[in-house]
Amino acid sequence: MEQTVKLLAEQIQQARHENQTLQIVGGNSKVPLNDTAQVLSIQEHSGILSYEPAELVITARAGTRLQELQQVLAEKKQMLAFEPPEYGNSTIGGTYACALTGPARPFRGKLRDYVLGTKLLDGQGRALSFGGKMIKNVAGYDVSRMLAGSKGSMALVTELSLKVVPLVEEVTYRIEMPECEAIVLMNQLAGTSLPLSGAAYYGGYFYYRVMGAHPKQTNRVGVEAVDNQVWQTLNPFRPKLPPGQKLWRLDVESTTPCIDGTIAVGMCGSRRWVASEHKPEHPYVTLWDERFLPRHNDGLGVQKIKQGLKKVFDPYHVFQDL
Amino acid sequence: MQVVQALQQALPNTSVLTSEEACRPYECDALSAYREKPLAVVLPENIDQVKRVLQICKAHQTPVITRGSGTGLAGGALPLKEGIVLGLSKLNKILKIDPLQRIAVVEPGVRNIQVTQAVEPFGLYYAPDPSSQIACSIGGNVAENSGGVHCLKYGLTVHNVTSIRVLNMAGEEYVFDEKDDGIDLLALLNGSEGLLGVIVEIKLKLLPKPEAAQLVMAAFSCVKACAEAVTAVLQEGIIPAGLEMMDRFSIQAAEDFAKVGYPTDAQALLLCEVDGSHDQVQVDAQRVAEILTGQGAYQIRVSQNERERTALWQGRKNAFPAVGRYSPDYYCMDGTIPRSQLAYVLEEIAKLSQKYDLRVANVFHAGDGNLHPLILYDANQPGQLQRTEAFGCDILNLCVDVGGTITGEHGVGVEKLNSMCHQYQGDELEIFHGIKAVFDDTGLLNPGKAVPTLHRCAELGQMHVHKGQLPFAHLERF
Ligand SMILES: Cc1cc2nc3c(=O)[nH]c(=O)nc-3n(C[C@H](O)[C@H](O)[C@H](O)COP(=O)(O)OP(=O)(O)OC[C@H]3O[C@@H](n4cnc5c(N)ncnc54)[C@H](O)[C@@H]3O)c2cc1C
Repeated sequence: MEQTVKLLAEQIQQARHENQTLQIVGGNSKVPLNDTAQVLSIQEHSGILSYEPAELVITARAGTRLQELQQVLAEKKQMLAFEPPEYGNSTIGGTYACALTGPARPFRGKLRDYVLGTKLLDGQGRALSFGGKMIKNVAGYDVSRMLAGSKGSMALVTELSLKVVPLVEEVTYRIEMPECEAIVLMNQLAGTSLPLSGAAYYGGYFYYRVMGAHPKQTNRVGVEAVDNQVWQTLNPFRPKLPPGQKLWRLDVESTTPCIDGTIAVGMCGSRRWVASEHKPEHPYVTLWDERFLPRHNDGLGVQKIKQGLKKVFDPYHVFQDL
Repeated sequence: MQVVQALQQALPNTSVLTSEEACRPYECDALSAYREKPLAVVLPENIDQVKRVLQICKAHQTPVITRGSGTGLAGGALPLKEGIVLGLSKLNKILKIDPLQRIAVVEPGVRNIQVTQAVEPFGLYYAPDPSSQIACSIGGNVAENSGGVHCLKYGLTVHNVTSIRVLNMAGEEYVFDEKDDGIDLLALLNGSEGLLGVIVEIKLKLLPKPEAAQLVMAAFSCVKACAEAVTAVLQEGIIPAGLEMMDRFSIQAAEDFAKVGYPTDAQALLLCEVDGSHDQVQVDAQRVAEILTGQGAYQIRVSQNERERTALWQGRKNAFPAVGRYSPDYYCMDGTIPRSQLAYVLEEIAKLSQKYDLRVANVFHAGDGNLHPLILYDANQPGQLQRTEAFGCDILNLCVDVGGTITGEHGVGVEKLNSMCHQYQGDELEIFHGIKAVFDDTGLLNPGKAVPTLHRCAELGQMHVHKGQLPFAHLERF
């Protein structure tokens, strides 16, 4: 076992003996710190372990900076297809734990789609390994994909293998139009062979991003080419809201008609950002604060399963729940 | 049997099969060397009936083996003598197609190809395309996380399912949806081989049919050069829709069978398909042809039209039956390896072939490292099946040892339980059993499959658990 992993395992075991709760922290860029928990930092456990561009796989320690990872990939003309939002100082471990995916999700898939394997320390400090570096692997349950989004509540992820893709050239276009028309149009375009990698509505414009060689767009009335900045504005989305207003993230069917209070439509219609004082009535709503908070809207049955799984990985409740 | 009576009372007559004859087709899946007659086969017609079946079986402590189309290659749907087979072939309705949202909602018994056929009028298709797609069910695809020729670019089943409805042994219903927060239970259920729940409804992602596709066929006189050519294509930033490699035996068998014009003197053949918009495909096909020539391909053919493209695929798609003609039986393996290890692994397989005195043909999903060696044998010759299995097991161990895995897409089932002991250590297996117990505390859902008991592994001598301490726990395994 690597020295840093050994130290982390010892801290877990110690916490267990002292009945301490641990909050696993990467770059401390997303999840708020909890006063009652002791911080377990993975920052020291960083570095890229292997990267073979031709295998389309990169393996890194969890504390590796997202920026570093992306830079190394860019040098070989590759990238992370899921375009994780950069909250400043993010680590790849924290990114995985929060499972945030950028605007290409409807087209290229989400973070967990690119997870091939993880090494982790469970709540007993045992070093475990699931999956591997293979694009295809169905031996055993898919624990490494399941734990994407676990936000440090189940196990400490020490190492990750991710599938990477070639860097592609992307061009953004926009058309001025009403939101309801844009929602239909983006869904229509996504059903054509135009190689989209983004479709959103923001500030009165329908924006769409196209990859690689594609038919000329600007010969159509009202279509203009713009730079790719808008995708950074939307990912992560941090608008300035008037006092009293809160930002809500809604995950919906992509063709859902306009929702009141929407200030941006992302993910080809399947994400709506709503500014309002009160929680919108909807099954998949998350309050999107400055910091990243969980949603807690599971039914009883699913809650029970999640609690059961938590016990499997962390029987003594060392890791903080979220 | 009480449980059979209870089932007969609860379901229509035609939905409960008990006679030897009626049950025979359900005695095995496509791994036909293993057979067992179950207590009964039940074929419910709707979800309510599935719930009733589960409740009755739970009350009678009777194991339930869920079955889709029975095309599984690892014995996942193999019956148990004291269990019932829950066949879902009658749940075969496409419940909804929404072309604008690009989704379809289907019952589990719908066959894979049916989805693509049904959505074709909208210019859409369902991407995962296992070779068995005319027969295999979507429920089975989810349970196995099946792949196909196009999964390097378009993903496996797990990448193309957005929501599922699942029943547990008590008949209680759960929905796992991509919109859920927290841990990803939808991902967990993909590939869970019928051990965690019965999948009764699936929402699938549909993709627009690519505007154009072109196939580049390249012949090599050396396996190593062919393997390196695969690397070169990927390194150039092209993700082909399909990237398939065949060895000499497979090429000859396929050509003999399908007569599509494969060069039978080649040591290795590469089929590389690019798809997308007209503009992109033109650029990519040209580029691929250049790269492959640069890598030493001595013959290149680029499909000039749809007819030629489909014809060139025919050989590869029929490779299994084609090779099968040379022998009464064949055994299909499913290891995955880093592409860089391909030449080495093929050499080792050739050595093993000599050692076990059994012929082997290799077809390879080269893009994603998934190797399908086909071992030829004759089950009627005493000892040949055992020798074949030992040969297969050696191949899988070899895959693990070079950093790969024992199964890329066919699943563990009963077939690869021993190999699982080679791939995973005691602690991971314990976690797997823990996960199973959370979903199924009765242990009645497809028991004994997919995850070996610690005891089994210990007996095999692959792993010696001593007071919870594993030897060489510090050694890297991937
Ligand atoms: C000629 C041939 C070619 C093949 N090619 C490929 C290929 O290219 N790629 C590939 O990945 N596979 C391939 N396979 C394997 C097989 O077709 C797939 O594994 C397929 O997904 C199995 O589907 P099925 O409906 O036949 O499932 P079954 O064989 O009936 O069942 C498979 C497993 O899933 C479980 N199961 C089935 N339905 C459900 C459900 N609704 N809920 C819960 N559990 C369920 C069963 O208990 C069993 O463990 C091939 C098989 C053959 C015979």
